[in-house]
Amino acid sequence: MDEVSQNYDPQVLTRISSLKITAMNLVDGILTGQHRSRHKGSSVEFAEYKDYSPGDEIRHIDWKVAGKTDKYHVKQFEQSTNLKCTILLDASGSMAYQSPTNQGESKLDYACNLVAGLSYLFLKQFDAVGLTSFNDQVVQHIPPRSKPSHLQHILHGLSTLSAEGVTQIEDVLARLTERLQGRGMLILISDFLTRDQDIQKSLKLLRSRGLEVILFHVLHPDELNLPFEGDTVFESLEDDPTVGLNPIDVRERYQKAIQEQIDTLKNISNGLGVDYALMDTSIPLQQSLSYYLIKRKSLIKI
Amino acid sequence: MSLNFSSPFFLFGLFGVSVPILIHLLTRRQQKHVRFSAVYLLFQSQKRSVKTSSPNRLLLLFLRCLGIALFSLALANPFLSLGNSEVLRNNSPTSYVFIVDNSFSMRTQVKEKTLFDLATQFLSKLLTQIPDGSEFSLVLASQPAHISQGWIKQKDSFDKFVKNLKPSYQTTDMGHTLVKAANLLKNANNKEKKLIILTDLDKNGWDEEVFSEIGTLPNTPLQIYNFSSLSFKRNEIAVESVQTHQEFLARSPILKIRSTIKNYSNENQRLPVSLLVDKELEKEILLDISAGQTISEEFSIPLRKGDPIQGQIKVGDDVLPTDSRRYFSHHPNQNIKVLVVDGDPGTVSHQSESFYLERALNPFSVSASHIDPTISTLAELPLRKLSDFAVVILANVRELPIGYELELESYVLRGGALIFGMGNQIDAKYYNEKLGNLLPITLKAIQNIEKTHLLFRSTEHPVMRAFSAQAIEEMKEISFHSIYTIQARDGKNFKVANWFTNQNPAVIETDSGKGKIILFLSSLDREWNDFPIQPTFLPWIQRWTQYAARGLENIVHQNLLVGEPYHQNKDQDQWVVETPKGNLHLITTADGQATFKKTQTPGIYRVFELPEKHTQKTISKLPLGSQPIGTFTINVDTKESSPQKISEENIKTFLPNLKVTIKSPELNGSNLPSAGGMLLTTPLFLLVVAILLLESWMIRRE
Repeated sequence: MDEVSQNYDPQVLTRISSLKITAMNLVDGILTGQHRSRHKGSSVEFAEYKDYSPGDEIRHIDWKVAGKTDKYHVKQFEQSTNLKCTILLDASGSMAYQSPTNQGESKLDYACNLVAGLSYLFLKQFDAVGLTSFNDQVVQHIPPRSKPSHLQHILHGLSTLSAEGVTQIEDVLARLTERLQGRGMLILISDFLTRDQDIQKSLKLLRSRGLEVILFHVLHPDELNLPFEGDTVFESLEDDPTVGLNPIDVRERYQKAIQEQIDTLKNISNGLGVDYALMDTSIPLQQSLSYYLIKRKSLIKI
Repeated sequence: MSLNFSSPFFLFGLFGVSVPILIHLLTRRQQKHVRFSAVYLLFQSQKRSVKTSSPNRLLLLFLRCLGIALFSLALANPFLSLGNSEVLRNNSPTSYVFIVDNSFSMRTQVKEKTLFDLATQFLSKLLTQIPDGSEFSLVLASQPAHISQGWIKQKDSFDKFVKNLKPSYQTTDMGHTLVKAANLLKNANNKEKKLIILTDLDKNGWDEEVFSEIGTLPNTPLQIYNFSSLSFKRNEIAVESVQTHQEFLARSPILKIRSTIKNYSNENQRLPVSLLVDKELEKEILLDISAGQTISEEFSIPLRKGDPIQGQIKVGDDVLPTDSRRYFSHHPNQNIKVLVVDGDPGTVSHQSESFYLERALNPFSVSASHIDPTISTLAELPLRKLSDFAVVILANVRELPIGYELELESYVLRGGALIFGMGNQIDAKYYNEKLGNLLPITLKAIQNIEKTHLLFRSTEHPVMRAFSAQAIEEMKEISFHSIYTIQARDGKNFKVANWFTNQNPAVIETDSGKGKIILFLSSLDREWNDFPIQPTFLPWIQRWTQYAARGLENIVHQNLLVGEPYHQNKDQDQWVVETPKGNLHLITTADGQATFKKTQTPGIYRVFELPEKHTQKTISKLPLGSQPIGTFTINVDTKESSPQKISEENIKTFLPNLKVTIKSPELNGSNLPSAGGMLLTTPLFLLVVAILLLESWMIRRE
């Protein structure tokens, strides 16, 4: 339990418990929840009548209407299903970055809190949530479950996570796409600091399978602004070669490059109907997540 | 092959290499190491930057260190000796005798320096290659050869001494110099001995006779550095002599300045010849001189009242300007003071031997003839100062006071003129025995004849040139009844100016030293002829006197060569000589003769008489009332001007016991000679510049 508590901030969980996430699209689910499904089925809430056709279940025939009209009508109900969400967490070496000056929490810590918060939220809504962490391959896979006790599994999985290895999002997504069943939600939390990766192709594939995808782009303010000064030797947290330079000389170009990357991701996301949220680790998680959920709620179709 | 440095002090600059290393280490310590996530983005940003290259700091450090090291090496003036200085390549202490030719031919100019400058610089460089513990001495090779620096072990002191050396205006005397060097080597302290000569190898001064005295230095290596090889041009022109001549015979108010100029080159030359009087250009002409020829050129300038004239003749410009000018001085309108020694004075004046002479020489007054005769008897002769007179006439003198013949010889050698007149009193035996150095003939006997006359075979003699044909005819009529017959002495040269019709010489003349001796072989009174009462006697005797007095200038204005002492025979105790540079020297008369020996610089020296006795030993300023009483000129001896060089074979013949090698020093870029080695200063500086450019290019690329 101590290990869990390290990665599980109760304060954060308490704060975000009041917030509810509502999926924009109805998804198929086993459990009834607050997510509206576009699929009709047996449920508590009546939807409409339809003419009986062979194959329809006899128990759904409304006998009162048959008695009055001498025609067979079948009752149809609007069915509420629960959401099946898979959280993909980047656990590559670059996620271990923390400021060399104030030694605050790392990006991975921030991301773990985010995962924990989201998991709690999903489970509280009786949605199924699973966690898959990866670097250049899948490191850990916890299948989605909707049981409240499943949170413990997720938190345990987070507590054992360490940032190492090289990021290979494209390969991992390609492999995971096969594994993900039906429609659902995929939350990808990463810093997306990887070179020569065509993430657009993978996202397109996911979207084509009916998955709702949310990208949480976690970046440290140092990565956004490159605030270092003086001759500095930059050693990579992954496998890039070491670079010695004066950051002042390249700061402008670096900021431009990282902004280009953010913009590219945003554009890809917009084009594919994928939610994109930039998570600056200098901004408190509660604030960032609240902002995102409010924004998402305002866009929801009721 | 060895690498040497002429300014090794600058090698301390090599410590400067530590500066970039320290800077590198200090800045390296300040470098931060950061573990960062988006390194590939940094890498990309850097690539897109203008400074696309990653700074190879180690290469930059290496370049900077190399630059500083090369700069220090370049300042230290390194030169690579390519085996030319075998004589110096010796690790054991050695005794070196350096002979530096400081004759005026070493003043030959090479660009802005003289050969002598190059020789002393070269010697300084040689010193840097000599092992410690060696000893040095220096002999200067101009006349008089002298040891300028005895054995010394302190290289710095010797180097300082060498750097302060100045070339002289003397000629070379290599023979005696080597004798001095041989004596030095005998007293050398080290077993190894070496002799090094720095010279232009002018043939003048290599006197074969003197070299026979050097035979005591077997197997001593003699290295000769021939500096004449550094001069692309040779000495071409020299003014060999300048003589001033006031035309006494014609009573002309014109001063004639005759100069002889030699062209030593193999090409015909057209040169400007300038006459400068009192430092101002008086005349300038263009003169064509054929290759190897000597020509005379005469300038004529009007005499200006009684003022002395000083000046110089200057010819063109060549690499040795020292001998291209020659100084002269002249005191115009001087009376010729003549001492007539009467060998047969009579109680009645007209019976005296000198009666007719005195009247002929000065018929009215001094101003008319410019001849000022003084009559003296034999007894008075020792009291007379010969140097006061330009001409001494010994008329029928039986014999001279004891030892006086030596004084006469000295007088003539210095430019005095001596005229002998015959007569009954003459003691031929005395003349033949005692005056052998003066007379080119021996007197045989008095020939009494009935009648003989003067015979003029030619009127070309300068004395006779002024006489008209009528006057010559009149002179031919003069009867002579007694004459002295003579016989030529062996090895003596003389000219017969006039003959008697009986085939005996009437007048003979000869030069001795700077003076002239004239013998009239009949009497100068009426005893043996009636010439003195003829109208032509007066101009005849006057012209002979004036002719003989051509050496006058040599007495009053001595024309000396560099190094020759100046003698002053006046009565005063003290004199002051002003040198061409304006320095004053006080001369004190000792034993009746004052000698000034500091005549090492060519130019015009002026002599002053002081109004009162100067009590101090030196004089810095001429006191008021000082009177100029004369001038003398000092000129270089043009024997040294000849560019002819002595060959290596000749030197080896002269010095059979020595291992002689002759090398040519080379001029490097900064006009400094090196011992056949290669000076590396310029290439090193170029390398430093290249390194600086490479370094700045690399920094710009960053």
